[in-house]
Amino acid sequence: MSEILVVENIDSGYKDVQILWDVSLKAEEGKVTVIVGSNGSGKTTLLRTIMGSVRAKSGRIMFDGNDITKWPTYKRAEAGLIYIPEGRQLFPDMTVLENLEMGAYTKRARVKMKENLEYVFTLFPRLKERINQKAGTLSGGEQQMLAVGRGIMGCPRLMLFDEPTLGLSPKLSIEIFGIIDKLKKEKISMILVEQNVYFSLQIADYGYVLSEGRIVKEGKGEELLASEDVKKAYLGV
Amino acid sequence: MEALLAAIITGLLLGMVYGLAAVGLNLIFGVLKIINLSHGAFIALGMFGAYYLFQYFGLIPFVSVIPVFVVILIIGILLYFIAIRRVMGRQELSTLLITYSISLIIVGLGTFFFTTNPRSIDIPWESIRIFSVYIPATRIVALFLAIICTFLLYLFLYKTWIGKAVRAVSMNRVAAEYMGVNSHVILATSFGIGIGIAAIAGVVIASIFPFTILSGGVYELKSFVICVLGGLGNPFGAIAGGLILGLVESVLSLKIPVGIVPFIEFILLVLMLLVKPEGIFGRR
Ligand SMILES: Nc1ncnc2c1ncn2[C@@H]1O[C@H](COP(=O)(O)OP(=O)(O)OP(=O)(O)O)[C@@H](O)[C@H]1O
Ligand SMILES: [Mg+2]
Repeated sequence: MSEILVVENIDSGYKDVQILWDVSLKAEEGKVTVIVGSNGSGKTTLLRTIMGSVRAKSGRIMFDGNDITKWPTYKRAEAGLIYIPEGRQLFPDMTVLENLEMGAYTKRARVKMKENLEYVFTLFPRLKERINQKAGTLSGGEQQMLAVGRGIMGCPRLMLFDEPTLGLSPKLSIEIFGIIDKLKKEKISMILVEQNVYFSLQIADYGYVLSEGRIVKEGKGEELLASEDVKKAYLGV
Repeated sequence: MEALLAAIITGLLLGMVYGLAAVGLNLIFGVLKIINLSHGAFIALGMFGAYYLFQYFGLIPFVSVIPVFVVILIIGILLYFIAIRRVMGRQELSTLLITYSISLIIVGLGTFFFTTNPRSIDIPWESIRIFSVYIPATRIVALFLAIICTFLLYLFLYKTWIGKAVRAVSMNRVAAEYMGVNSHVILATSFGIGIGIAAIAGVVIASIFPFTILSGGVYELKSFVICVLGGLGNPFGAIAGGLILGLVESVLSLKIPVGIVPFIEFILLVLMLLVKPEGIFGRR
């Protein structure tokens, strides 16, 4: 098994507040790696540190065999590290199509734009119907579909999902999980941060539990799901 | 009646040119989120560029827009990386100070080299008859030039990859980086284009009115009024704002001494800020 992303002993945070303490994790090629943790435990900060929009204070991040710790964010995206951010972060005054085009901004992605666009529209026919609508006027669910679609447009080597079902109805959440499952079957490498611990650990090949900025537990998806601490803390049983 | 018709036509012509100047200011505000106090200085540089290219090479202003734009674009990109980049994201005072210093340097050097004697570019073109009034041909060409530049900017922002990245960065800079956009390059390009458009407006104005190195300030003030009228952050609202200001100015000057016109523009600015601060076409 080859590792596409290796995070080694990362300390990270904002200005003078440190949020992450000595965090290490790995994501394997073609696998789904899940990170669970309660609100404020630092999951988003971890993904931002992997993307470089928050700088690691110490430690090392390896992606695809390169040390990317000091790389600017755009260069990480060019290398195929694609982040689907918390809160969607769409371009509100751009149309659905323009948002998808922006997803394909990098040279690698541009050459495949046509076929990726078609693929996104087969995954989300609702986006196709709204192709010329401004992203800011879409419903919450449609915006999340667009955020995922925009990520797919980037020809990801590794996709980082930050709570893609946050604020969605159960029905829409299931739809989004269905898409993630589909991407998993196509052997797309993913890191998934989710509040829905039960579902995400089911889909996970491997998982980590983050608590107050530290990794406190790790293991195969089904092992974590069966473990007493996780059950107590996150599943309420 | 005749006089009113002439005033309306002149107002629309000048308004389009004022609008173009304001488009540059608005683009920089929309993308970099800074207020560029060196805007007037680059308008003035455009005027002198047109003047010397005409004096020494016989290039009429409608040709010299191209070299002037290219040179100012490059200056803008360099200025971004040398100076403005350092204060991006800091408080407003730093960005105001840095653009004001750029203005002081340009106007200071300009006063030294060019003095403050008024210059003008005399193109021996006839007047053209529209309905029953005669309008100088240079003003008609100025109008077309302003329209063409605005249209080219539209094509750039909506039809090219870099232009789309400019819009994306203006809406959400971090998300644009996540898409693989090198945002510093985009900010530098936007600053260069913004002051390049200011310089084009300067070239066009120089073909109509006499000017000195200090003239930029007047048009900078107009640009601020126009941006507030049309909505800050919306480049094309500036064109509408420009047309309104041009009309008001030239119709009013039929009845009121010209010296009072800037005062009325300023009142317009204050009223607009009180009544509809987001501008006619702006959104909160
Ligand atoms: N820009 C910021 N500046 C300062 N502190 C921040 C910033 N963003 C997040 N934090 C703090 O960092 C801590 C971790 O936040 P983070 O968003 O990483 O948590 P999370 O695990 O993603 O939570 P959630 O499940 O609610 O999304 C929180 O205490 C938060 O207040
Ligand atoms: Mg989060």
